Amino acid sequence: MRRAIVCIGNRLVAEDRAALEVYDLLRGQALPEGLELVEGGLAGLDLLPLLERGGRVVFVDQVRGFAAEDEVVVVDREEIVAAGSGHYGHEAGLPYLMAVLPAVCEGEMAEEVTLVGLEGRCSAQTIARAAAISLAIAEGGGPCSG
Amino acid sequence: MVRGIKEINIPINRAEGDLEVNVEVEEGVVREAWSVGTLYRGFEAMMQGRGALDGLVMTPRVCGICSITHLNAAAEALDRIAGVTPPDNACRLRNLALMAETVQSDVRQSVLMFMADFANSGAYGEHSLAAEARARFQPLEGRLAVEVIRESKRLVQVIAIIGGQWPHTSFMVPGGVTAIPDVAKLLQSRIIVEGFRSWYESAILGCSIERWQEIQSLADLDAWLAESERHREATVGFFLRFCREAGLDRLGRGPNRYLSYGNLPLPEETAVQGSDGRLLPAGYAVATTVLPFDPQQISEDVSHSWYEQGGGPRHPYVGATKPYASGQSGRLYSWVKAPRYGGEVVETGPLAEKVVAGDPLFVSLVENGGPNVMVRQLARLVRPAALLAPMTRWLEETASHAGDSFYRSVSGIPDGSGAGLLQAARGALGHWVTVQDEKIVSYQIITPTAWNGSPRDEKGRRGAWEEALIGTPLPDVNNPVQAGHVIRSFDPCLVCAVHCLTRGGGGSGRRRPR
Repeated sequence: MRRAIVCIGNRLVAEDRAALEVYDLLRGQALPEGLELVEGGLAGLDLLPLLERGGRVVFVDQVRGFAAEDEVVVVDREEIVAAGSGHYGHEAGLPYLMAVLPAVCEGEMAEEVTLVGLEGRCSAQTIARAAAISLAIAEGGGPCSG
Repeated sequence: MVRGIKEINIPINRAEGDLEVNVEVEEGVVREAWSVGTLYRGFEAMMQGRGALDGLVMTPRVCGICSITHLNAAAEALDRIAGVTPPDNACRLRNLALMAETVQSDVRQSVLMFMADFANSGAYGEHSLAAEARARFQPLEGRLAVEVIRESKRLVQVIAIIGGQWPHTSFMVPGGVTAIPDVAKLLQSRIIVEGFRSWYESAILGCSIERWQEIQSLADLDAWLAESERHREATVGFFLRFCREAGLDRLGRGPNRYLSYGNLPLPEETAVQGSDGRLLPAGYAVATTVLPFDPQQISEDVSHSWYEQGGGPRHPYVGATKPYASGQSGRLYSWVKAPRYGGEVVETGPLAEKVVAGDPLFVSLVENGGPNVMVRQLARLVRPAALLAPMTRWLEETASHAGDSFYRSVSGIPDGSGAGLLQAARGALGHWVTVQDEKIVSYQIITPTAWNGSPRDEKGRRGAWEEALIGTPLPDVNNPVQAGHVIRSFDPCLVCAVHCLTRGGGGSGRRRPR
């Protein structure tokens, strides 16, 4: 099964860089063979192709209102879609992407999509935990209790 | 007598996480407007002291929608400082990436952001085209809303092929480009562009690009609309009919002054025609009278912005970005500065490009009731018609000159100043850079939205869309869709930096650049 971890955010904005710190941490590790690690950055709707190749996709992104500051949460596909307004904008993020995917997918739709969310400013320990959870989910272990 | 003045804040959803527009409404009409950028980004401060080339990596992160444009502006500024002109192939590839980004943005903004409001039942339940508008543009469901995503996402492949990497390519460097696509990839890109063109002609124009370009005046446009069912039912025809019945051809006049930096430099050897060495000429227009563009006429005024005060408007080479949000509560109201050209308020964007280029149709439309929301948005919706054929030609030319150079050697960035000025999807974008000892001494960016969404200046003159909002009827202040039309016709882009999933809906909240 194809597996990918896609980290989203802007490393030049303090409130939005946690997922890219996860990316940096993972990039410095020896990853399991075949696992794709992507810096999704600000690509928004242009991330669609990553969801049209089947397999399991783990997004890592900043979240707001899901948990206490400096915590990691795991959000499933339905909850991601529910967090959206259904409107497209320059700020369109994962909810819009997930909501529109079934209608526009031209390849093989990702079978499993999970979001590893980072709430607020995150410590190095939280970044490391998010990286470990992302890897565990990507490798099929499901969210660890971490 | 107490007049019924109501102050409301209009959330500009589908445009901004950090843009607010406050308006004063009297008897159902906007009498005053203030455009408020609510987040300081400070890219200029971030750049100081960094390596001369760092702008190539950092400034594309200003914006997720138009990162190629920022890369292009950063590279052009360094070209100027280094005194180098990129070879023809580099010129073509830079142009192609920027054009792909622009075309994608134009169709997405038009259908997913602007025309999504046509499906607003509260505002347009009585419109004779309401049911069809919902069938086409309802978010996530409308057939065109879905189709435009499916078609426009293929253009990213062109950027990825040309950029050699996606996302976050930094393939433009002073002297040229670093990624050299092979001929097979160039031909693949041509197939993508031609496929998009076929869809664009069928679904958006309802005719061939050549037929569309025969339209030279308002009378021609009306004749084209009456000519066939296909013209009326395709997106442009539907857009015109909907706008006219809704009165969008009478809303959102704005300053009626236009600025275009010009863009898309022509290779020395090319079959593509332009003027002054570019596909899009530079210029400043007062109504439809076009004057030469003089970069020295650009200044930034901070008299109503949360920056250190004093010294009056400054050219970006000598400007500063020093946040100072204390005191003067009420007079200062935005983190956006107020750019001015020759001291005047101007608008920029596709309509400005058309007027400055002397496009006969848009000159005619401006002279016959324009500028307005309909004309401004039409310019964006049909801009790809002028870009798709040159894209195909430049892909062919690059493939046929694949053995030629893509880069002229630049051994280092000398001390000096340079500006990268070009037309982004949303209008005039400028990067002004000064380098000393291979370090950035100053870096000033003026985005298109700073021009269009500026606050007032030292003379108290409103910014472009602040001005355009005056007189806008708001029959329902709880559903101020008319004000949204005015602002969205400028295609604001203050966001594109921070985004996160927010529990409870309402979308995500990326924050604005700058």
